[in-house]
Amino acid sequence: MLDIKNLHVKLADEDREILKGLSLTVKPGEVHAIMGPNGSGKSTLSYVLAGREGYEVTEGAATLNGEDVLALEPNERAAKGLFLAFQYPIEIPGVATMQFLKVALNAQRKARGEKELSVPDFMRLVKDRAQKLNVTQEMLKRPVNVGFSGGEKKRAEILQMAVLEPSLCILDETDSGLDIDALRVVAEGVNALRSPDRAMVVITHYQRLLDYIVPDVVHVMANGRIVRTGGKELAKELEARGYAEYVEAAE
Amino acid sequence: MTTAAPAAVLTPAEMAIGTPLPSRRQEDWKWTDLRRRIETPYERAAAVADAARVAKLIAADPLAKLPLRRVVFVNGVLDRTHSDLAGLTLTTGAPDLTEDEPLATMNATLADAAVTLAISGAADRPLHLMFLTLADTPAAVGARVHVSVADGAALHLIESHRGVGQYLANPALSLALGKGAAVNRAKLELEDAAATHLAIADMTLAAHAVLRDFTLTSGAALNRQNGRVTFAGEGADARVTGAYLLGGSQHADTRLVVDHQVPRCVSREVFKCVMDGAARGVFQGKVIVARDAQKTDGKQSSHALLLSEQAEFDAKPELEIYADDVVCGHGATSGDLDHDHMFYLMSRGIPHDEAKAMLIAAFVGEVFDGVDHEGLKGVLTAFAENWLATHTR
Repeated sequence: MLDIKNLHVKLADEDREILKGLSLTVKPGEVHAIMGPNGSGKSTLSYVLAGREGYEVTEGAATLNGEDVLALEPNERAAKGLFLAFQYPIEIPGVATMQFLKVALNAQRKARGEKELSVPDFMRLVKDRAQKLNVTQEMLKRPVNVGFSGGEKKRAEILQMAVLEPSLCILDETDSGLDIDALRVVAEGVNALRSPDRAMVVITHYQRLLDYIVPDVVHVMANGRIVRTGGKELAKELEARGYAEYVEAAE
Repeated sequence: MTTAAPAAVLTPAEMAIGTPLPSRRQEDWKWTDLRRRIETPYERAAAVADAARVAKLIAADPLAKLPLRRVVFVNGVLDRTHSDLAGLTLTTGAPDLTEDEPLATMNATLADAAVTLAISGAADRPLHLMFLTLADTPAAVGARVHVSVADGAALHLIESHRGVGQYLANPALSLALGKGAAVNRAKLELEDAAATHLAIADMTLAAHAVLRDFTLTSGAALNRQNGRVTFAGEGADARVTGAYLLGGSQHADTRLVVDHQVPRCVSREVFKCVMDGAARGVFQGKVIVARDAQKTDGKQSSHALLLSEQAEFDAKPELEIYADDVVCGHGATSGDLDHDHMFYLMSRGIPHDEAKAMLIAAFVGEVFDGVDHEGLKGVLTAFAENWLATHTR
């Protein structure tokens, strides 16, 4: 599904290279965790895949279902099934959450040549997904992420994911700022979306989230590349021993 | 004539209009030098007799389908044929405007068919003052309307300003709110792209009157609007808002003076200005608080969204406070669309142009939402959508 080969990325306005030859293959149905210390390039990887401006790919390739994902606009990537759950979801004053969800879903459907969802069908879909994530009707009436607590923002991200039904979900530090109850709700929401056709890349600093979203594969990222890959037990090992040895080895 | 420019020689344009034009040497006019900008010798407009042309223009008004009481002015003169005057108290003449300034001087010269409308009780329908200008050759048109709203009366007042041709429109509206009166005023400046719109809105509030005011500025090549809110009785409340949707080489300058002469009044000014192309927007807001006007609560803000590198916006907030127990403040921002907002919307599958239109609509939405008339709000939203569709690519 996702195939990244020798990806090199630098910041567009300075010469600092952030990703230094990263390779990663994720197959449908798999959940991959990427763990690593701050500054290892985890968030850059998620932003580059989603198409945020400010980065320059200097070498390598990334394909989504065989298609060069880096050549697409962010909205085209979304329509192809890529979804990034932001570490810091953006507040957008004046745009109601429901309207935003409806426009986004219908834009994706239109791009895929599917019919727009009728208003009643859309309302039913959102209501059903929102209930499971404890997202209240009151939250849906508010502007996108405005006035949401940290936990509410993360739940709203997962709600968007549940409504848009992407095939590749990238979760960037979805656990940050969550207490244990909120973490459980978010993890349940994510787990409900696991399916043989859908892949997930869970980026996290801590092992805690992986107790709830159990990965198939765990990667350790340090200094802009993946330095070790293992099974879910690798996360426990990292929790016990820290990242220091990888950081030193990668430098 | 005390405020006119000390010009030794009148320009051909000044001679044609019959009044001197203000220049940048006057502080209020530094961004909008009419003496330099107006080169066309606009002749005094003749009365328009062609009823068919007028009827066609009326039918094309975006408000034409709303159930409003329509009062039409063509080239500054009340058009009785196309107006719904039954049961309306209408007299000729109008009181002097509050401020003796260049546009008032111009209006005294150009407008010779002043009209006063007296409103009492609760008006059955919103009052729509439709100002139309038809100019086959460059024409100067002045209109003068006074609306007096009795104590305790309520009124929705909607103005539209449109026309065809190259003309200079100089409408002056004064509005007197009696004690406890409530007025929702909305103005749509949708003049011809070749027009110059130089307007006055002079509004006075008696005790406990409530004014909600909104102006959409989107037409005309050159626009200057002088607004004034005078608090003459305690406990009154005014919210004056505006939106600019400007592109090309349009120039719009709003000078708004809010004069707190008495204690315990509340004023809010919010302007949201969207500028595309090489458009130039100006907002000059001045809040005056007299020495006796204690417990005044006055705030103003202007926000500009610049959609192109060539667009420009200037804000000049002024506070002139002589009382010591007041809450006053101002704020101004100017910038382009937030890149994080754009990326977030696009990352959810919304195409670039649609995302941009959503964010601009959200930006002006704050002032549109304050318009307390569903039909009018619908017209405004549709107008903005149409404008955005041509300015987000």
